[in-house]
Amino acid sequence: MAEQYSSFASGSTRWFLQRVTAAFLVVTLAFHFFLLHFYNHAPEITFQLSASHYDVPAYAVTMVLFLGAATFHGVNGVYNALVNQGVTGTPKRVAKWVLAVAGVLLFVQGIRVTLALMGGA
Amino acid sequence: MSQSYDRGLVEDFGRWREFSAGMWAWVLHKFTGWVLIGYLFTHIAVLSSALSGAATYTNTLQGLEQIAVVRVLEVGLLAVAVFHIMNGLRLLFVDLGVGLESQDRSFYASLILTGIIVVASVPVFLEGMF
Repeated sequence: MAEQYSSFASGSTRWFLQRVTAAFLVVTLAFHFFLLHFYNHAPEITFQLSASHYDVPAYAVTMVLFLGAATFHGVNGVYNALVNQGVTGTPKRVAKWVLAVAGVLLFVQGIRVTLALMGGA
Repeated sequence: MSQSYDRGLVEDFGRWREFSAGMWAWVLHKFTGWVLIGYLFTHIAVLSSALSGAATYTNTLQGLEQIAVVRVLEVGLLAVAVFHIMNGLRLLFVDLGVGLESQDRSFYASLILTGIIVVASVPVFLEGMF
């Protein structure tokens, strides 16, 4: 193989998931921007409009997967960046757990928002 | 398996004048990644207004959209997201061993495509603001 550099060890589960979520996010993030800025216009968004999107089950499923993928990709990316900066030992373990808890809280709050919007559909 | 590549200490930003295209791609991917995860937390916080009722959600979102700085920052967010997507696609191809010999050119292509998409989107993002 030719020389190449990756931010973290290849072959691990986190390495694989970071790339799987990346491929998924390329599509869903582009879709999210297109839907909420070009198809709908951001200044015109209302609760009813957001809720109406959730009438389509596939949209709800996609948004939950989008939230999960973005949360994992972002939190794992921050962890990798910190490890790249040379964080080791206790600070590394603290960063790992703080980020894991922050990720779980973010996902749970996102699900609460989703349920609120689905309840209003 | 891939061989390691001694890229030098990119984290020493004092060396920025020596950075090659690949190093700039690495720095910009990290920077845009930090912005995006920061925004994700902010985004969910703003959308949490839905938990206080339909009127609060609508008033919060529409109130924010009436602020010119917010609209301009949204263009910045688009630029950050599009670059992260474009450069991320480039990285996925590199991981698959595709285009290893043209990484510099694909980085420049990422920048140019980002610029074109962002400039073309400005009228939609700032519609009715100025």
